[in-house]
Amino acid sequence: MRSEAERVSRPVVLSAEGLTKRFGKREVVSDVSFELAAGEVFGFLGPNGAGKTTTIRMLVGLARPDRGRVTIGGFDVARDFAKAMSRVGCIVESTDLYPYLTGRENLFHFARMLPNGAESRIPELARLVSLDGRLDDRVATYSLGMRQRLGLAQALLGAPDLLVLDEPANGLDPAGIREIRQLVRHLAVDRGIAIFVSSHLLSEVEQMCDRVAIIHRGRTLAMGPVRELLEKRGAERLVFRAQPADRAAEVLASFARGGLPRLEGEEFVSSEVPREKVPEALAALAAAGVLVFGVERQSSTLEEIFLEVTGGETV
Amino acid sequence: MPLVENEILKLLKRRRFRVAILILVALSGLIVFAQTQARDRRPRRDWRIEAQERIARMQNWERSGRLPQTQLRWVRFEIARTQYHLDRNMDPEAISGPLFSRAFANASSYLLLPLLAILFAADIVSSEFAQGTIKLLLTRPVGRARVLSSKFAALAVAITLTVMLGGLVAYLFGGLAFGYRGWGAPVLSGFRIAGDTFDPAGVRALPLWEDALLAFGLAWYATLAVGAIAFLTSVVLRSTAAAMGTMLAALIAGTILPRVAPSWEAQRYLFVTNLPLPDYYSGSPPPITGMTLPFSVVVLAIWALAAAGVAYAVFLRRDVLA
Repeated sequence: MRSEAERVSRPVVLSAEGLTKRFGKREVVSDVSFELAAGEVFGFLGPNGAGKTTTIRMLVGLARPDRGRVTIGGFDVARDFAKAMSRVGCIVESTDLYPYLTGRENLFHFARMLPNGAESRIPELARLVSLDGRLDDRVATYSLGMRQRLGLAQALLGAPDLLVLDEPANGLDPAGIREIRQLVRHLAVDRGIAIFVSSHLLSEVEQMCDRVAIIHRGRTLAMGPVRELLEKRGAERLVFRAQPADRAAEVLASFARGGLPRLEGEEFVSSEVPREKVPEALAALAAAGVLVFGVERQSSTLEEIFLEVTGGETV
Repeated sequence: MPLVENEILKLLKRRRFRVAILILVALSGLIVFAQTQARDRRPRRDWRIEAQERIARMQNWERSGRLPQTQLRWVRFEIARTQYHLDRNMDPEAISGPLFSRAFANASSYLLLPLLAILFAADIVSSEFAQGTIKLLLTRPVGRARVLSSKFAALAVAITLTVMLGGLVAYLFGGLAFGYRGWGAPVLSGFRIAGDTFDPAGVRALPLWEDALLAFGLAWYATLAVGAIAFLTSVVLRSTAAAMGTMLAALIAGTILPRVAPSWEAQRYLFVTNLPLPDYYSGSPPPITGMTLPFSVVVLAIWALAAAGVAYAVFLRRDVLA
């Protein structure tokens, strides 16, 4: 993962400014803005109906924003569509390619829509996504993971500066998800591609992305580097393994910040205790005759942040 | 050009193209078979006597006064046509492979060929929506107008192939039963209807191949027009089933309307009424009195151009969200 300072020094590949979209009277996306720098993986999170899909459609020119604009590599998507899109590779939702064509025919199909030279990348890309053995089979016979990888190869045909991946891990098994994650990291780190990922698999996003934005009811509610977001919230929550647990909770209450300690099962108590007060708290526990068997830091997850920010709605 | 190549590849690789070829082969074979059966059952006498008898029979019908107006017109044309052949010592009923192929142009222009055109056109855009591939197609560095144009071009190629294939298959099957020779035989063409009477002034003798080429050209033209309209329904409805249903309903209405309501004059402006273009060439009366070949050609052109215009307007503007 990269530092914020390092990020700002790199060129901006994608910029969305004040994107707004209305369906009838309902505003589905309101004033959404963000920027992606080269080599950065940016996670885009939101519950269903949050405006996530609509935002992505606007990024890649499938839908027209009512207000705001999208520029890719300096080209306005609305005005210089072809120039802007020549730098982008996409997987938009289901990556189903043409099932009645072979993998190779599919890749040739999309290579023909690109400037010259894209065809020559096909063998290399097939190797990259480990499909070289099955390239001449019809896509209808592919597994979901293979289709997803073929979709990724398709997205990379034009040697893009920006990848837009909408739910790339959808329907994949854990091994497939890990493969995609490794590919994404490799493409960002080694090839300097900016990658925009929308996903509902929060743990995936957490491991894959440098920065995230959380969108809810059409608005960005939180945005920033993953680590910063995690540190900001509840990173100091500790889990005490102690007996008797109820007595421990009573003692810890005087040190706790942000709510009372919680009993979690027979001999576990979790509580948010500031770093400098931890030794004091331990001494107090010992003085009160509580047996402490261990203390662990409970790291907060993106999921918790997400639930907190969106008010508990599911993804 | 690479885009058109893409679209043609997608059209030809689908099962529906093979189905279309199969339909053509099966239908031609069936018709040829039926015709040989009919011919074998009826021992052929001197065609001259038959033709004369036929004229006499039709004259009787004409005089009986019991025929409805539309049929009476047709009977009069048939009498004149048969007499015309008789005067020139040509068998009006003789059939050959080439003649069968020529007849295929007439028979297929208002139903079979349009049907096949619909088969291709109805899903050419909607299938991309159904598969979700539209999202990839429209996020490539190619303008939407070019994407749609490439699809139009591919459709035109597919229709052209189908019409040519139809003629070829009909010739091969017809030849098998009736002999492959006879492309040079003279046929009478240029029959015209002046008001209510048969006007032989423009009648010329053409070699059959030339006549057939004209007929197939007209059938091709009519099929293209249907293709353009089906294309529009595919763009607007985004569902293959809905597009196909709409077009089939229109075609069926077109074959029924002139029969049940021949007096409804405005139907001459419907595209379906104008489809049997090759019939003008072989002297059949038009579906509605007063319609002429140039009229039908223009009406079809207007429909096709309007459909294409609306298809572009919708396709270029619409957001792809599904």
